[in-house]
Amino acid sequence: MTLPEQAIPARRGLRFSPTLTAGLILVGLHIAIALLTLFWTPYDPASTAGGRLEPPSWSHWAGTDRLGRDFFTQIMIGSRIALVVGAGAVAIGAAIGVTIGLLAAFATRFLDDALAATLDILIAFPTLLLAMLVVAASDSASLWTAILALGIAMSAIVARLTRILAKRVLRNDYIAASRTAGTSWPGVVAMHVLPNIWPTLAVSFALQFGLAIIAEASLSYLGLGTPPPNASWGRLLQEAQGTVYTAPIGAIAPGIALVTLVIGINLIADGLRDVADPV
Amino acid sequence: MLLRLLPGDPANALVSVGADPAQIEAAREQVGSNLPLGEQFLRFLGSLARFDLGTSFISGVPVSAEIADRLAVTVPLTVLSFLLAILIAVPLGIVAAVKADRWYGAAISVVSQLGIAIPVFWVGILLVSIFAINIRLFPSGGFPSRGWADPSGALYALVLPILTIAVVMSSSLLRYVRSATRDVLGSDYLRTARALGETFPQALMRHGVRNGSAPIISILGIELASTFLGAVVVERVFSLPGLGSMLLLGIEQRDYPNVQGVLFVSTLLVLLIGFSADLAQRLIDPRLRDRAAGARS
Amino acid sequence: MTGPVFNGHLNQRRNVRTLAALSLVVALSASAAFPAAAQEDYDPDATVRIGSLYEPQNLDNTAGAGQGVSEVFNSNVYEPLFRLTDDGNVEPVLASDYSISEDGLTYTIKLHPNVTFHSGDPLTAQDVKFSIERVVAPESKSSRKNSLATISAIETPDDQTVVIKLSQRSISLPYNLSYVWIVNDAATSFTTSADGTGPYRLDGRRRGSGISLSRFDDYWGDAPTNKEVVFSYFTDATALNNALLTNAVDIITSVQSPDSLALFKDNPDFTVTEGQSTTKEVLAFNDRVEPFSDPRVRKAISRAIDKSKLLNSIWGEYGTLIGSFVPPTDPWYVDLTGVDPYDPETAKALLAEAGHPNGFSFNLDTPNYDPHPIVAQFVKSELAKVGITVNINIITANEWYTKIYQAHDFQATLQEHVNHRDIVFYGNPDFYWGYNNPEVIELIKSAEASATTEEQVEKLTTANRLIAEDAASVWLYLYPQIVVSANNVTGYPVNGLNSQFFVYDIRKN
Repeated sequence: MTLPEQAIPARRGLRFSPTLTAGLILVGLHIAIALLTLFWTPYDPASTAGGRLEPPSWSHWAGTDRLGRDFFTQIMIGSRIALVVGAGAVAIGAAIGVTIGLLAAFATRFLDDALAATLDILIAFPTLLLAMLVVAASDSASLWTAILALGIAMSAIVARLTRILAKRVLRNDYIAASRTAGTSWPGVVAMHVLPNIWPTLAVSFALQFGLAIIAEASLSYLGLGTPPPNASWGRLLQEAQGTVYTAPIGAIAPGIALVTLVIGINLIADGLRDVADPV
Repeated sequence: MLLRLLPGDPANALVSVGADPAQIEAAREQVGSNLPLGEQFLRFLGSLARFDLGTSFISGVPVSAEIADRLAVTVPLTVLSFLLAILIAVPLGIVAAVKADRWYGAAISVVSQLGIAIPVFWVGILLVSIFAINIRLFPSGGFPSRGWADPSGALYALVLPILTIAVVMSSSLLRYVRSATRDVLGSDYLRTARALGETFPQALMRHGVRNGSAPIISILGIELASTFLGAVVVERVFSLPGLGSMLLLGIEQRDYPNVQGVLFVSTLLVLLIGFSADLAQRLIDPRLRDRAAGARS
Repeated sequence: MTGPVFNGHLNQRRNVRTLAALSLVVALSASAAFPAAAQEDYDPDATVRIGSLYEPQNLDNTAGAGQGVSEVFNSNVYEPLFRLTDDGNVEPVLASDYSISEDGLTYTIKLHPNVTFHSGDPLTAQDVKFSIERVVAPESKSSRKNSLATISAIETPDDQTVVIKLSQRSISLPYNLSYVWIVNDAATSFTTSADGTGPYRLDGRRRGSGISLSRFDDYWGDAPTNKEVVFSYFTDATALNNALLTNAVDIITSVQSPDSLALFKDNPDFTVTEGQSTTKEVLAFNDRVEPFSDPRVRKAISRAIDKSKLLNSIWGEYGTLIGSFVPPTDPWYVDLTGVDPYDPETAKALLAEAGHPNGFSFNLDTPNYDPHPIVAQFVKSELAKVGITVNINIITANEWYTKIYQAHDFQATLQEHVNHRDIVFYGNPDFYWGYNNPEVIELIKSAEASATTEEQVEKLTTANRLIAEDAASVWLYLYPQIVVSANNVTGYPVNGLNSQFFVYDIRKN
């Protein structure tokens, strides 16, 4: 990724490229479904009234699971879980990562080097592996441990990016000028650093959002993620793997839902990059 | 240190239903989980210095022996998937960049967009249901108990896992290759070479590959490391006895020597891969050598 | 009762019916044991490949290796003095002859002559003494340690004779000895190597992948009908099924999901056999704590759960409903499914009577592996209908031990109990579920000291009824025990009692 040499103006108005539009439509659809599930679902998600592993039909669009629950309802709730996990993980990763990154950028040479080396090693490990260790270190699996684990694992990547971007801004003459004029360091961060680095960070957050959703699905698939009865797509896929012979729809539908959301997010990231970093 | 703080006691994995407290205490003494945390950690550091990764609490097998056994699955799996991914990604990435205006160039880009949005385990499940269940062409899991002493069986068992990783990995690699190629295509040296009468393929081979590959190699290093560690999930999908499944089992059973051993060895390998990628990059790109000699930014 | 009860002979394996007379339990139908045994055409040097989900974590049955260790080693590599056959009988193996003193406190056991270990060492009484002491030793983690605690002394008057002295009568001693492998007292490691007297020697082992056994040519008994046996391990039931479909294994020891069975059932290339199972899915309460200390609450919960719908959800057309902890294969089984039938109305009435007209809520600690999470979701949805709120708390197997088994820090949990004859757990008030009924405790204790099998069966049957009427736990269902094989393989055990899988009679053509 090439980075802007000069500070770019923070707001230049979003140009809605086809990429960005497609992404917004896909993600918007998932957000709409997620909001809808708060008030209404086709069936009560806990209702076991259906038959065992019914094939797709007009009454059950994606069939039923082993307990006779409507599978489409569960996939819809899966959108909500995925968005909550993605947003939660990005919020935590951003809060920790940006803080550490800024500290490193402002820190003494020695501390900065130490932090940079640690971050480099941490980044070599995939988010998933770090998250696995964090989950394992907690008492029992829950939606919040999964979010926290992914957020912590993500923070290293955010911290490194923030540090590099912030240092680049700090090298500019106007920072020294601003300091001379009496601006405090927090003031510098608020007035100069953050406004300059946020467009690039936003692209990174969007990418991390998608990765967090994939990582949560993988954690749930391994039995370390969101516990039942929360319908995480990864857990639905894991449960459906055993019934792939008799009910293949179960191993396909949640995956399609997941891929459409992640593609949507990636398209938004691409669109944002074109805005933040026009080549 | 983090591992020792995990709740749960490894002794529990050793005792079965019906055990009394005295049996549990005896098990704790045997695995050393009754010692203070600090002492347990110091013991670990001490044995590490002697290149001794210890002995598994549960299986009684030396950790290094088991790691060696399991690397015999994970390393071929990683390396072969990696090579296949490169074979797929490099030509397709170049085509996608050069022929971006043609339908197939655009199609490649769209498919790769799909590839980076798919969780690797789902690709595994899909490949299993296509190739193992419907066509019954390849085994969908397991590894011969004789290992590589049964080379065709071992290779056969790895076909679907390798395909699974390669599909996902080549998609992200492809995007890097495409953008690197695009940078090369827009460069002055290529235009100059063409102006001097070289054909387009000639120019691309002579100047483009060398210039474009340096950034790709650093990406490859990162991708190789993450494939190696990301094999955890794929090994679970296919019931493969690799390093990843050893780690998962170790976490589940609180078998600290195994978990520490796996983390130690994989950190070592990840650093080694990073270092090699760095070295390769400098060999290819003389500018980097010079820059390294000068002041670092 | 005095004098020799039985004269052993080399052929016992083929003669399961004759042994039923002396055995301590009622026989199952022996004919079910070996499907299509008529096929005589077989390759005596065949390699039999067995697929299983239960990899042993080490090779020692006193070191917490899990159920898989019995599957591979019991009677295949290591032999006991007495074994539990696949029909549920107890028959002598290395004991050629034994007698019991009048007071029931002294067992004199003669060993088969000319038995050697795989290493070439002869089997002696010293090895037997060493083996039993190894299981009851303080550092042993065997679950049967407590059952063998009545042994006060072991004497070896000569190389072929073992005298076991008891501190009190123990009618299940031969059964309990079926858990004791006779090992070489000169062996140095049990967790990583094996030296038994069985028809196979341990050939090789690859962690995470498999264990291979090969025929031991100097075996003292009948030679196995195959040359080599390979156990391959899978972490996923689907992968295991696919392995059979793609001819990577010949037999699956225990199918864990019904959904692949249709593929095998309709296919003439495979044989599906449903055997007798002892694995029970249990919703266990902490009977010590409110509100579960009230039997009315436990009964209400039992009546609020439609167990036949649950069984159908998990197992389709397979499996059995049970009204207590005792499976039909135990001699003290009686049909108790009518004690607390599915009836949400009386469940609500019972709850009101117990002072919970509006229900209550509790935490259900659920192990993170199949089928517990899905069972928990079903229980949650059923209990919601009678006003009880269930919070599902997913935990690992390790946490289950720490939190529930050791600390008894729970309200309710799910667990599968695999063993045969484990009603004794309800006679132990310190067991994790804390069921404390003095009458049941006394019955179970005195049943063990019974002089006759009839007396033992009568007492345990009464205990069985009592725990059902008290709804000590909710016994959700009995797993089916299903073995699937390629149709060119015959002679394998179909019940897999106590997770054993005898391979010496398997024929492949």
